[in-house]
Amino acid sequence: MASILTTNQAPGRDAARRPARPARRGWRLHYSRRIQLWGASFVLPTLLFFAVFKYGPMIWAVELSFTSYDMVSPPRSLGLENFENLATDPIFRESLFNTIVYIAGSTVLITLVGLGLALAINTAVPGARYCMSAMFLTNLMPILAVCLVWRFLLHPYGLMNQLLEPFGIDRVDWLTDSRTAMPAIIFVTVWRFAPYFMVVFLAGLLAIPDDYYEAAQLDGANAARRFWHVTLPLLAPMIFFVIVVSALLSARIFLMPYIITGGGPGNATRVLSMLIYETGFSYMKMGRAAAISVVLFTIMMVFTFLQMRIFMSREQV
Amino acid sequence: MRYGQKGSLRRLWAQSRRWLGFIALLALTFAFIFPILWMTSTSFQAGEKMFQLTTEWIPSVWHPENYPNAWSRANFSQYFVNSAIVSIAVMAGNIVFCTLAGYGLAKFRFPGDRFVLLAILSTLMLPLEVTLVPTFLVIHQFGWINTYQGIIGPLLIDAFGVFLMRQSILAIPTDYIEAARIDGAGELRILWQIIVPQCLPALAVLAIFSFRDSWDQFLWPLTVVSLDQYRTYNLGLVQFGEDYGNPPTEQMAIAVLATIPVFVLFWILQRSVNKGFGLSGLK
Repeated sequence: MASILTTNQAPGRDAARRPARPARRGWRLHYSRRIQLWGASFVLPTLLFFAVFKYGPMIWAVELSFTSYDMVSPPRSLGLENFENLATDPIFRESLFNTIVYIAGSTVLITLVGLGLALAINTAVPGARYCMSAMFLTNLMPILAVCLVWRFLLHPYGLMNQLLEPFGIDRVDWLTDSRTAMPAIIFVTVWRFAPYFMVVFLAGLLAIPDDYYEAAQLDGANAARRFWHVTLPLLAPMIFFVIVVSALLSARIFLMPYIITGGGPGNATRVLSMLIYETGFSYMKMGRAAAISVVLFTIMMVFTFLQMRIFMSREQV
Repeated sequence: MRYGQKGSLRRLWAQSRRWLGFIALLALTFAFIFPILWMTSTSFQAGEKMFQLTTEWIPSVWHPENYPNAWSRANFSQYFVNSAIVSIAVMAGNIVFCTLAGYGLAKFRFPGDRFVLLAILSTLMLPLEVTLVPTFLVIHQFGWINTYQGIIGPLLIDAFGVFLMRQSILAIPTDYIEAARIDGAGELRILWQIIVPQCLPALAVLAIFSFRDSWDQFLWPLTVVSLDQYRTYNLGLVQFGEDYGNPPTEQMAIAVLATIPVFVLFWILQRSVNKGFGLSGLK
């Protein structure tokens, strides 16, 4: 006991600032209060960090979004002008639309493919563990390398068209045709991220007790019914989790369109994060860029609240 | 043939189904890894074979000189060191601070702890892509443009890591901690000797993801770095492709080298990572 009492003076100093219950016996604190202070001080560095690099910047972004700022002259207040300009800007509207299409497309496909892969691995096929590790490598490959490789594979003379040729499909200009550019980028996204969610789903599948399946089998349920009535309901919370996480992930995507198509053809694959970067750092319109940030933030907020609700409901169980 | 005609047929069917499943799974795996194989094979090809009508999976003539040639065309050694410094620092920062915060949130009750947890989780909606402009201005105020601390700073702690560590520490019985306290162990010693050894699998997952994510960083270094000497490997790789006349095969060689560190880290930590994901029961 003595060692605890003498070794921790820092929390004692913190306590002096707390208006709550006064410390007993001079600087020596009540045992439970002292443990509370340890807990709080473990979390404190992270909170301070987020105050400087997350909450502060977001408040600043909201402030900037009502101004015109180029880092040379001080910010000039504009009121709602940035937002009004954005509402009528065709490039912004197209980027917003693209972002939503991208989020929807990649979220749905990542979830379906991830679940499908997990189910395939979870069969008692020999070597499944090694197949899983191999597939997971796509998730560890640097995104930039992924983008560069797929830019070549989807080139009009690339491997993709070579593979499709025997099936009688004519050469497709995947990345320069405005109809296929966005699906192509979603395809690459799924290729890269689905194996990660495969692992997440697999952990969920392994956590389902075998007894449930045996009981269902005894009741004469075939494989499809077992999936529908046992696996799916038990996996439902995890499916929601994956949907929300992959939506958050795709809302912030930058590198894939930036490298693979450069936002083109035209603006067909330009997303909001690209527009923020270009507006802020190519055109130095930081107020306008901040206004776009606020829009992207609003989209992400919806998914984050969904995630928190899932999290809270699970915590209560 | 002890089981008679019918039994052996059934066995044959079961066995062939296993093999069919195996082949299907192998095909699926190939569909996922062929771009990695293509990248590796292309990095050894002659430049003009890049867009041949049929892809040569195994080069007829090997060109390992693509690697040293590509490496010497730009300051890649420096870029590599820069990326390593940034990624290792970010990994270390995440491991230390996420463990501390995760422990604090999992095993301590203090006023407002619930609110703090939600506040930390809420930063998931504030990735760098969203706060890009003001974060740049913050770093500018600190005078950290074109410095290592400027690149590392905003990446040092990720809410995902805090959440991961909290969930993993929640599973450790509180009795262990209480018992250690009664035996007179200090709080830091409890953390180091009881908590950390029990959440090594989660730490492995955190290590590999925080390393990969910072190794993957592109937008932030692009924003905060303008001097060549602070360029990360990714920035160098893109620049290499944009510079006129660099053969794509050499760009693939650089891409292969960019892939190796993350693969090696995964290979070292694989067993723990599998445990961390709860995949130990996999056949």
